Amino acid sequence: MLRFEQVTKSYSGGFVALDRVSFHLEKGEMAFLTGHSGAGKSTLLKLISLIERPTTGKVFINGVDLSRVNRGQVPYVRRDIGMIFQNHKLLMNHSVFDNVALPLVIEGFSGKDMTKRVHAALDKVGLLDKVRCLPHTLSGGEQQRVGIARAVVNRPPLLLADEPTGNLDPDLSKDIMNVFEAFNQVGVSVLIASHDLSLLARMRYRTLTLKNGRMINDGLTSYGADE
Amino acid sequence: MSILFQGRATGATAVKQSLWNRFVMFWVHHIRQAMTSLGEIWLTPASSLLTVAVLGVSLTLPVTLHLMVKNLQQVSSSIDQAAQISLFLKADTNETQIAELIALLQANPEVADVQFIDKGQALAEFTAESGFGDAFSYIEDNPLPHVMLVSPKNTSSVAASALLETLKQERYVELAKLDIGWLERLDAIVSLVRQVAMAVALLLMVAVLLVVGNTIRLMILTKKDEIEVMKLVGATNSYIQRPFLYTGIWLGFFGGILTFLIEEVLLWWLKHAIAGVTQLYDSTFSLQPLSLAELGYLLLVAVGLGFIGSLLAVRRNISQIEATGL
Repeated sequence: MLRFEQVTKSYSGGFVALDRVSFHLEKGEMAFLTGHSGAGKSTLLKLISLIERPTTGKVFINGVDLSRVNRGQVPYVRRDIGMIFQNHKLLMNHSVFDNVALPLVIEGFSGKDMTKRVHAALDKVGLLDKVRCLPHTLSGGEQQRVGIARAVVNRPPLLLADEPTGNLDPDLSKDIMNVFEAFNQVGVSVLIASHDLSLLARMRYRTLTLKNGRMINDGLTSYGADE
Repeated sequence: MSILFQGRATGATAVKQSLWNRFVMFWVHHIRQAMTSLGEIWLTPASSLLTVAVLGVSLTLPVTLHLMVKNLQQVSSSIDQAAQISLFLKADTNETQIAELIALLQANPEVADVQFIDKGQALAEFTAESGFGDAFSYIEDNPLPHVMLVSPKNTSSVAASALLETLKQERYVELAKLDIGWLERLDAIVSLVRQVAMAVALLLMVAVLLVVGNTIRLMILTKKDEIEVMKLVGATNSYIQRPFLYTGIWLGFFGGILTFLIEEVLLWWLKHAIAGVTQLYDSTFSLQPLSLAELGYLLLVAVGLGFIGSLLAVRRNISQIEATGL
């Protein structure tokens, strides 16, 4: 589903954010991406969502070489990837409904079909009762779940999450992770960047560990044993 | 259309809709977005009103100049129709000679009408109207010549000048005068005003473009975060820029309407002053307002300028906002 081949990303000034990173995320697989801040987690996610382009090496999604995707096609690629952001990236002066409906509106949905999908997505994250609220009236965890609903509303085959439990307490973090697991169980590939090691240990999924831009561990997390 | 996943139905294609349905939905969508843009203008009335006011005032000047040219042309053409040649006869011309000349002129196929003004009659008229009154009684001889007013059949200034040249050759004619010099000057002034109007209109149109462009640019900047989010969830540039284009169109439309209103008020205000002047000249001149077609053109130009101005702004600014995300 998602394959990195010897991907290097260096920024002007000589800083190397990713150094010859290779890995393969299978279809329907769920994995964590971890490492200290500055290790290259965000850069890796940016390369997938085409916010950045690799300096050398190739990124494939479903066998499609992303270097062959031109500027005009970038929006269409992003529609196939559900993205969840640490700071939610919600439209603060629009209702929860409008926020979740945004990807559908962009794709030309309207009317009953759109409403049905939005309600389904909000139902999955347990926020159906907040459909008319404005985002700033919600708690941090609820805002994050609105972000998740938006990411899954058009049923993408690949979900990316950047520190989805960033500022949440452990109970809420667990709830959010359960939501991801539920999506994974219906066949969605999920890649979650997180530095919440205790959470990773409890979840026991494949963990990709980055350190100074290099992939130093690609397997089940061993942090659980240390704690 | 999905680039990564062949066969993954997305968007409107996922919902099987007929061609007609999609055609209808296309327009419904555009109308809805136009109305949304209108609503946003309504929600931020202060800045929008200022922009509309600038547009209205900027367009008023060229429209006023245009009306001026139009009305001046009407004046000059109505005067052109009344072009007359005045023949001043030699002082010693006697009655038979005058009759002879009148007959000659009336036989001329170029001449439409001849009117004779006796010098005694002319003096009486002048005494009565000039206000010098008794002063003339001190003059022994009548200093005025007999005058013949000849109306040419062809009233164009070229034909009238040709007739003037032949009439000058007549034996009893001391001096022949066709008063088209000032008419030519008026024509020259009208064409000058028209040129000025064109130049001013061009400059102000550029100003309008810049004002609309700047307003839209500021709107884009205040919505930078929103645009970024839209880009992150897969909105194309053309989708993001559409509401701004509609905003530009609305600004142009309201600017055009405001121009029309200002113009109407201006005309109403000037009507009495102009009527005073035309009454003095005893003319049948009536002020021509903006016609329906001209109002149409005005709105078309205003909307066009709003559209182009916003297009310039979105082209430059929206692609510059890159999703930094994550």
